[in-house]
Amino acid sequence: MTELYRLRSVTKRYGANVAVDIGELTIAAGRLYTLTGANGAGKSTLLGILAFLLPPTTGEIFYAGERIDWKSAIVGRRRRQVTLLHQSPYLFGGTVFRNVGYGLSARGSAGESADRAVDRALAAVGLDRFRDRDARELSGGEAQRVAMARALVLKPEVLLLDEPLANIDRETAGLLETVIASLPAQGTTVVMTTHEPDRSSRLNGGSIVLEGGKVAHADL
Amino acid sequence: MDFLVSSFAAALRLIGSLSPDVVDAVRTSLSVSAGATLFAALFGIPVGLAVGLSDFRLKGFAVTALNTLMAVPTVVVGLLVYGFLSRQGPLGALGLLFSPTAIVIGGTLLASPIVANYTLASVRGADARILPTALTLGAGPFRAVTTLVGEIRFGVFAAVIAGFGRVVAEVGVAMMLGGNIRGYTRTMTTAIALETSKGEFSFGMALGIVLMTVALIVNLFLSLLQRR
Repeated sequence: MTELYRLRSVTKRYGANVAVDIGELTIAAGRLYTLTGANGAGKSTLLGILAFLLPPTTGEIFYAGERIDWKSAIVGRRRRQVTLLHQSPYLFGGTVFRNVGYGLSARGSAGESADRAVDRALAAVGLDRFRDRDARELSGGEAQRVAMARALVLKPEVLLLDEPLANIDRETAGLLETVIASLPAQGTTVVMTTHEPDRSSRLNGGSIVLEGGKVAHADL
Repeated sequence: MDFLVSSFAAALRLIGSLSPDVVDAVRTSLSVSAGATLFAALFGIPVGLAVGLSDFRLKGFAVTALNTLMAVPTVVVGLLVYGFLSRQGPLGALGLLFSPTAIVIGGTLLASPIVANYTLASVRGADARILPTALTLGAGPFRAVTTLVGEIRFGVFAAVIAGFGRVVAEVGVAMMLGGNIRGYTRTMTTAIALETSKGEFSFGMALGIVLMTVALIVNLFLSLLQRR
């Protein structure tokens, strides 16, 4: 199994509070992991670090064998291979289409092929008829699906999901879970936080349990 | 009371007849205010964004300094710029004193802290998820910041409008740096001060009505934007 992430002695502090304190952790490419732990265990902070949005206070992170230098252009380049979907995603003003196409546009991808990719991503989450809707007028579940489409359209190497199935109805949760479960087969590594410990076995994935910022258990 | 009523009627007649002196003052006021607002926006918006988005040791001091600069009296700004532009000053050779350009320079100094502060307030009030969302979707730092500005655009517009309101209504800078030259640097506010002191109360009132109308439009627009 190809190693994608390796974290060594990684800590993240906010003042005196240690949010994350991980001695060693590896994440393999093309697998799905659930990340569980109580509130405040450091799940979201770890996702922020894995997304290259939060530089750790100490320690080293290797991605695909390359050591991440947080002050170099490597971070920006690697950030484009990893997409983080927040628990309560922010949708930009404008249409659903604009939101889903944002990442492609940021990568300089435009034109008919980009438009078709956006349409395919919207269809994958069952929102193909929402293309021209105002993103700010969507329900919570619809917004979550738009955010998922916005991430999927980028075909990221890694998709980090922060409680993607929380606060949405059962039907939407089922749809998103099916989409998420299909991603490793397409080569996407998935790390998702959840409060449901049995979700890992249901999705046939590995699991990481955090307690007080430390890895209490890892089934990799 | 008759005096006020007859002056008001005369003022309306002056506006209605498009008196050249009134039109000149209005045109000068609006053009120098627009110029000063443009430069204040070019300077103040990036400053507000930089202070709002970055963490540095003297950030608290920078915020306090911006707040303090908002309250600087217009005559102090006029005095400072006068010192630079007067014949004996370091920029005296440019011959800018008593020109519309001098008023634009002073107005820019007056409006920039306002634009910067309003922009800073908008950045602080912005949704904290905007930048991480843009970054994780692949935007570079510049694109992420322009996305943020797009999301808080109404606050930024409000900043620019507030800057315009400050410049168009001030008298100290226009008087000291423009010299109140008829048909050249005479603005609405300096004309009101001069004509009223000469006893031309209806003329001053005519310009006062136009100025109040401009201020009303600016504030209505500002209120509209702040509600978005």
